[in-house]
Amino acid sequence: MIPVNWVVALAAIIFAIGAIGVMTRRNPLIMFMSAEMMWNAAALAFIAFARQWHSMSGQVMAFLIVGTAAAEVGIGLAIIVTVYHRRHRLDIDEISGMKG
Amino acid sequence: MIPFSILAVVAIAGALGVILGKQPVHSALFLVGNILALAVLYLLLSAEFLAVAQVIVYAGAIMVLFLFVVTLLTAGKEESEPPEDLSGQRWTAGILAIGVGGALAVLAAGHPGPKVAAGLPVNFGNLHGIGHLLWGSDFLYLMALAIMLLTAALGILVLNRPMRRTHVRHQRRKEA
Repeated sequence: MIPVNWVVALAAIIFAIGAIGVMTRRNPLIMFMSAEMMWNAAALAFIAFARQWHSMSGQVMAFLIVGTAAAEVGIGLAIIVTVYHRRHRLDIDEISGMKG
Repeated sequence: MIPFSILAVVAIAGALGVILGKQPVHSALFLVGNILALAVLYLLLSAEFLAVAQVIVYAGAIMVLFLFVVTLLTAGKEESEPPEDLSGQRWTAGILAIGVGGALAVLAAGHPGPKVAAGLPVNFGNLHGIGHLLWGSDFLYLMALAIMLLTAALGILVLNRPMRRTHVRHQRRKEA
C-alpha cells in the first residue's frame, strides 16, 4: 500500500503548480487548465484519505469534483469563446469587465 | 513505492508542462498526461470507478472540449504572452505559491498519520460501493450535481444565444 502522506504531498505539489499557473499566465485557456489541475489535486487528496480511512465518502466527494469540473469547464470555455468573439484577443485582462 | 514514484514524476512533469507550455495546445496535451497518470494512481489507491470516470470524463470529454476551443481560437497563430501590467506580480505570485506548496508538501510528508490495520471492506471503490452510497445515503449530493450540470447547460445556452438580436434591440432602443 502506498503511504498516504506521500500521496497527499504529491497532491499539494500539483495544487501549488496549478496555483502558479493561474497566477502567472495571462492566456485564459492555460489559466483554466491550471485550475483543472488544482481540482484534480484536491480529488487525489480525497481519494488518498478515503483509502486511508477505508471510507467511501471521500470517493463520493471526488466524484462530485469530477462532475463540478465538467460543469465549470463548460461555462468557462463558453465565457472565453464569447469574450474572444467580441475582442479577438486571448488575454485575461479582456475579462476584467466582469469584476462588476 | 516504485510505481508511485514513477506516476508522481509523470504527474509533476505533466503539471510543469502545462504551466510552461508556449502554446495552449502543448499545455492541453501535457494536461492529458497528468490526468492519465493520476487515473493510474487512483487505481493503485483502489478507486476503480473513479479511475475509469477520470479517463472518460477528463481525458475524454473535457480535454476534447479544450482541444476544440484551442483549435477554434488559436489555430495558426503565434501569440506570445502579453506583458504584465503589475510589475513583479509574476515573481511574487510564483514565489509565494512555491512557498505555500512546499510547506504543504513538507507538512504532509512529515505526518504519516495512524495506520488503519483492517482489510478493505467489500466493494470498496468499485461501481457497487459508490452506487450504493450515491443512491442511498448520499443521494442529496447526486441531485445537487444533477441540478448543477443542468444549470451549467442552461448557462451555456444563455451565453451562446444569438448576439445580433440583443444588439438590434439595443439599437432600436437607442433610436427610440
